[in-house]
Formats: sequence, C-alpha cells, structure tokens
Amino acid sequence: MELAPVFSWLYDLLLSVGLGITLADIVSLVGIAVIVFGFLCVAALFLVWWERKVSAHIQQRYGPMMTGWHGVLQTIADAVKLLQKEDITPNAVDRRVFFWAPVVTFVCAFAAYVVIPFGDGLIVSDLNIGILYIIAITTFTIISLLMAGWGSNNKYALLGGMRSAAQAVSYEVPLTLAVLGTVLVAGSMSMNEIVISQQGSTFFGLLPRWNIFFQPLGFVIYVIAATAESNRTPFDLPEAEQELVAGYNVEYSGMKFAMFFLAEFINLFTVSAIATTVFLGGWNGPLLPSWMWFLCKTLFMVFVLMLFRWTYPRLRVDQLMEFAWKVLLPLAFLNIIYVGVLAKWLNW
Amino acid sequence: MTKEELTEYIKDNFSGEPEVIENDQPEPYFIVKAEDVVAFSRFIHDDPKLQMTFMMSLSGVDTGERYEIVYNICSYRLKHRVFFKTILNHEKPEVDTVLDIWPAANWYEREVWELFGITIRNHPNLTRFLLPEDWDEGFPMCKGWVGKDVIPFPERK
Amino acid sequence: MAERLRTEEMIMNMGPQHPATHGVCRLILTIDGEVINDCVPVIGYLHRAIEKICENRTYAQCIPLLDRFEYVTSMSCNWAFALAAEKLTDLEIPERAEYLRVIMAELNRIASHLLCIGVTAMDLGALTPFLYTFREREFILDLFEMTCGQRLTYNYIWVGGVSKDIPPEFIPKCREFLDIIDEKCDDYEKILTKNPIWLVRNKGIGIIPEKMVHDYAISGPSARASGVNFDIRKHDSYGVYDRFDFDVPVFFGCDCYDRYRARMAEMRQSARIIRQALDQMSDGPVRAKVTMNFKPKPGEVYSRIENSRGEMGIYLVSDGTKKPFRMRARGGSYNHLMAIPEITRGLKIADLVALFASLDIILPEIDR
Repeated sequence: MELAPVFSWLYDLLLSVGLGITLADIVSLVGIAVIVFGFLCVAALFLVWWERKVSAHIQQRYGPMMTGWHGVLQTIADAVKLLQKEDITPNAVDRRVFFWAPVVTFVCAFAAYVVIPFGDGLIVSDLNIGILYIIAITTFTIISLLMAGWGSNNKYALLGGMRSAAQAVSYEVPLTLAVLGTVLVAGSMSMNEIVISQQGSTFFGLLPRWNIFFQPLGFVIYVIAATAESNRTPFDLPEAEQELVAGYNVEYSGMKFAMFFLAEFINLFTVSAIATTVFLGGWNGPLLPSWMWFLCKTLFMVFVLMLFRWTYPRLRVDQLMEFAWKVLLPLAFLNIIYVGVLAKWLNW
Repeated sequence: MTKEELTEYIKDNFSGEPEVIENDQPEPYFIVKAEDVVAFSRFIHDDPKLQMTFMMSLSGVDTGERYEIVYNICSYRLKHRVFFKTILNHEKPEVDTVLDIWPAANWYEREVWELFGITIRNHPNLTRFLLPEDWDEGFPMCKGWVGKDVIPFPERK
Repeated sequence: MAERLRTEEMIMNMGPQHPATHGVCRLILTIDGEVINDCVPVIGYLHRAIEKICENRTYAQCIPLLDRFEYVTSMSCNWAFALAAEKLTDLEIPERAEYLRVIMAELNRIASHLLCIGVTAMDLGALTPFLYTFREREFILDLFEMTCGQRLTYNYIWVGGVSKDIPPEFIPKCREFLDIIDEKCDDYEKILTKNPIWLVRNKGIGIIPEKMVHDYAISGPSARASGVNFDIRKHDSYGVYDRFDFDVPVFFGCDCYDRYRARMAEMRQSARIIRQALDQMSDGPVRAKVTMNFKPKPGEVYSRIENSRGEMGIYLVSDGTKKPFRMRARGGSYNHLMAIPEITRGLKIADLVALFASLDIILPEIDR
C-alpha cells in the first residue's frame, strides 16, 4: 500500500500504537477519507456561497446577506433545509436506478480526489496513471446522469440525460487530448510528476515554467471542454432550465437533489484543480506554502468558470456537438503535434 | 385611396351586391351576404389595387335578433382599410371559412364558433380552446346568456 | 438488426407551467429527438371573459379591465379603449392629455421591450442581462408609480383624457431616465449584439418570411423585423404622433436576431419621442368634461394603436346606452401564437424557446 509521505506518519503512528497491519491500513484509510470528505464538503459549501456572491455582484445585487457575515452561512442553512425536506419518490420511477443515481454521482465526484496533489506531498495516493484515473472517474458521472434521466421516467429528465451523455462523450475527447500535451512534456501520467515537471523558470527567468505558457492553446481547449464537462453555461444543456425545466434532476427532491447539487460544485472544483495541476504549475510557487498556492490557483480557475457562467448565453445541442467535433478536436490534435515538435526541439 | 374611392372601386369591381353602411368613420364599411363572403374576401385580398392581406380582427356580434360577423381587414402595403360584415339569422347561423384567404382567421373563427355557436363551414379544426373542454352551458357571448353561477354586477347609480 | 431498430416520435407537453412559456400556455410538441415535428398550442388557461364582463360595465369601469387584458403594457390598452370610446363620443381631448398619453405609452413601450430583451436573454441561458434590463424597467415603474400610484395596472388613460396630472418632480426624473437609457441600450448591445453565442442562437432561427407576416397578420416589431414597413404610429397616426419626428426601424433578416434588433432600435426611437413630447408639452387641463355614466352615440368603431408587441385593436359597438354593446380586444400575441406551429416545424426545442421569447408572447392578451 503506497501512501503519500504526509499520511505515512499516521500509518506509522498507528503501527507503533500496536495495531495490526490490516487494522492500521483500514484506520488510516478511513481517516484520510474522512479528511478529504470533510475538506470537500466545506469546499462545496463555500463554492455554492461564492457562486451566489459572484453572480450577485455581476448582476448588481447583493446575494445572500442575512445568514452570518455576508451570508456566508447561507449554504449550510440551505443544506439543513434540504435535509429536512420530504424525500419524494414518484410512483412511476424505476426505483433502484432512481435511488442509486445521486449516490453514483456523489461517489464519483469524491473518488477523483485520490490523486489530486493539494500541496507538496499532500496527496492521498500518487498513482502512476493519475491523470488517466481522474479522467476515467469523472466520466463515470455521466452514467449517473443518464441513470437519473432514465430512472425518473420523465420526458424532460430523459432529454436532459441524453443530452448530458452526448455532451460528455464528445467533450471528453478534446479534454483528454489537451491534457495529453502536458503528459508528453512531463513524461509521466502521475499528477505529482506533472507538477514537478513544471518547477523552475523559463524565458531567462521571467516566467515560471508552467505548461500554460508553452501550451496556451491546450489550456484554452481544456477550459472550454472542462466547462462542458461540469455542465455549466454556456454548455449547461443537460439542465437547461428554460428548455427542460431542470433536466435530469427534475424529479429529485430533498437530500437526493442536494447530492446532485453538491456533486456539481465538487466537479467544478475538480476540473479547476486539474487545470491548476496540469497547466498552472500545481502547488509550485514562491513564499507561500504549497497548499495555499494550490488553493489560490484553483479558486482563480473556479472564478473564471463562474464568470463564463454569468455572462454567456447557452448553446444549442447541435451547435454544441459541432463545436466539439469540428473545432475543438482538430485544434487539440494540432496542439499535440505542436507540443511534440516543441518537446523534441527543446530536448525535454 | 380615400374612403369614397375605395367604396366606389369595390362596388364597381365586385360582382356581388355589397351594401354600403354610411358612417363617419374613416374606412368603408359593407354588408356582404353570407354566401358571398368567400368571394368578396378573395376579391379584396387578390385585387392588386386593394391587397387586403392583413386581417386585423374578426369578431362575432349578437344583436339579440341576429348574428353578425365583422371582418376588419387592412393592407400592409397600401395602408388602407376595409371593414365588412355579414348577417346571419338565429335559426341556422352558418358561414364559410375564410381560412384559405387569411390563415390568421383560424383562431378567430374557432372563437366565433365556440362563443356564439355560429357554424363555420369547412373549418378544419373546430374544437374548444378558450372554454374548458367539458363546457356545457351554451354560448356565453350571446346576449341574454346567463351562466349557472353568475352574480350580477351592482348597477352604478 | 437494421429492421428491428426503429425510432418513435415522442409527445411532450411544454407547459402549462413551464419557465419559458411566459404565462400559462401549453404547447403539445411532437418531437423526434430534439427536432419538433408538430406543435399544437393549447390556450385558455387564463380566460377571464373580459369581453363579456365589459358588456355589463360602464365605459369608465371597462378601463381597469383593459389593464388586465395585457398587463405588461397597460397604458396602451387603456389608450386603445379610450380612443375607441372617444371616436364614438366626439370628445375634444385637451392637448396636455394627448402629450401625457404619448409619454406614458412610450415609457411603457420601453419597459415592455426591456422585459422582452431581458427575458429572451434569460431564456437563452444568460441570466445577467435580464437583471440589467430590470434595473431600468424599475426606473420606469417608479415613474408610473409617481404618476398614478400603480406599477403594473395603471388605470391612467381615461376616456376624455388622463386620470390626473403628473406631479412636478416627474419631468426632471423622466429626463434623468432619458439621459441614461441610450447609454444603457449600448450596454445591452455590448453584452448581446455581437456575442458569438447570442449570434448562433438567434441568427437564422425562427424565420418568418414576409408572406407569413401577411397571412398570419403578424404585427409590431416582429413584422418590422421581416421587412414590413408598417407602424401604426406613422402610417395610421393617432393621438399627436404626427407631431413627432421619429423613424420606423425596419430589418430584413426575418429571424430572432432581427426581432431583437428591431426592439433595441425601437427603444431608442421611443426615447426620442418622449424627449420631443416633454419639450412640446404645455400646461393646461388634462381631462375633458365627461361624466362617469356618459353615453356615446350608437355605432361601430375599430380603433387600433401600436402596442409594444403588435397591433392592439378594440372593436366597439355602442347602442347608445352607458354600457358597451360589444367590445372586442385584439392583441398582437394572438396572431403570433397562431403562427408558431408553422414557424417551428423542423426547429429544435431550444429554438422554440428563442422564438417564443423573440415574438414576445404574453398569454393574458391571448386568453383575455
């Protein structure tokens, strides 16, 4: 069992206390899971509040103001309200699929955090196929959306589920190809290795050696595809409110709805964290501790995605597909060729 | 064209005998026989000097003794208007549809059928749409119609 | 395998409660995937029998009912009815009242177009322009509140004039609004007009060819976006509109995008009219001498005015008593909704939303 250094002391501690190896394994894993879970819950709650504030200020409103300082506790109040709500299961639904859909969403959203390097050594498990793992596990979310759409037995939900499946499958391709460019440079799929490959500076010490400066095109493709992956405007077709009412989650209420909702924000954080890791130099940075650099960059990415959401209208479903296959995909290939030539030339 | 010119032109060129109503409004007003409605409509719609392509309104009126259907037509291109109405008796109110000439008449005629009980011949889709589907209290726009639970409005002194 | 694989059309109910139908309209869509093969509008959910009720009210009592006929531009509805009644009564309307009517109707038109543009943006997924346009709409509603105490159903334009004179602080406040509105229009244009996503969602969508404009009697900005140069204010002038210098913006794209641009251009023209009206207006009485239970002479009249979403017509029959014998109100949306099945065939569901918003369909006007 290979754990990152920061967690191995926990493991050693448990061993020295006298627990058996199996037990120490289990306890330390649960401990780590609880820590990540706690962090992500707080992050999701924070992001919900932040999104409301950002949108409010873009729209010349205040947003939540009453609960806590500038409404900072508003999301907690909302979550408590959703917990208290009746959990309605309509008669016509496919009960098993309907029940498991939010669970799958939630689990997949969390599972991605196994390989995200929050700081120098702050990684749950540095898998050698880290980036591939993340892409695989985030795609899994789509199955849950499809489950929700199909299981709800509602035409709007079905259309939403179908749209999301088509959209995610299409945008997965340019997204992966964009990330591939950085893998080429790093020579490894491990998230930590990718971050380490971006250490130091370039252009005579003027710029940090982040991938964004070498592959701006790849970064742009990634951001666009990531917006689509996280189902946000201008690609929020699966839940297009004015067309499909609420899309795949139209029949959900109470905590099941909250799980979809939180998973969405965790996904937002995930795609931003990946962008930070592979393009923005991860936790690299001077002066501040590494985890703080990571958080700052990630939150900046989140902010950029929020700006998109609150300024753009929504694309139509066929235009969305066209854009993915006719524009993004060729550009992504072009980017890979360019990175290959660059890597050869610079002798990385 | 002015009101007088329009009136003369239509009277001269339409084969039927439209009756002219004298009033002080700026547009010519005719009474057309029920069997002539389609021919008259076709004439004013197609005639190059009239080009009455825009149906402003089609309304039913119940005067108590008889039904009237009032057609308010105008021309977008030539910016003039012609009104005409047809008079139907209470026993067998029937008129042909002008849907082929002005597709806009579709819902107006449905409304006339629904609220006045005037049969529109050859209309493809005479179904209820303003009133509930299970409405069985007659034709509410007719004069003297009283619904089951209508409370009369107090008279203003 | 190929024979066993077949697809079916799906029937979907859009409405009666649906965020994009602007009221309670139900559209029965027959869809093949996302493509609409057929669309049947079902209306009547908001039927209040305004026409029948008016037959049992005096003319003065009809005015508040006409407010409810189309509550987004009540001023125009009031005016259309007052105009019809005045044609039958031979009333001399005081000049100040005529100017006040123009100012109020044009302000109301701006408010309505602001609503329309904001809602179009919202229906296409951009929530922000909606709140921007509502900020300016709020300003206009404040002006109305100052004038007649109401923000939505004004009951302001009466037969024979207007209900009361404007307060002295109205004119400076109104000028303040006119100073910012052009600039704000530029702001909306910055956010929307050249936005690539806005362009692909609106350009070439929901084409209404000129023939269909004539056939289905489509009027107002929607007709002018299809190349029909017709504005009742200009070509069949009523009130004192002939004293103002303004243009009729005509566009030839026939699509949602040009309908949006036509509305944008019209707001600027409306502001221009209000400026001129404020300059020309003089003091004087605002209501002709007319009693509450006045009796018009017998006759029939059709009056029409340019409403923000098309021709607003009132067909009025008087039998010489104090109540209208028959009143029929005609709104632009009625014809627009009637044409929707023909326009939508072959469009996507998302296009239907854009089309519905760009035609600015308001349901109370249809159900009456």
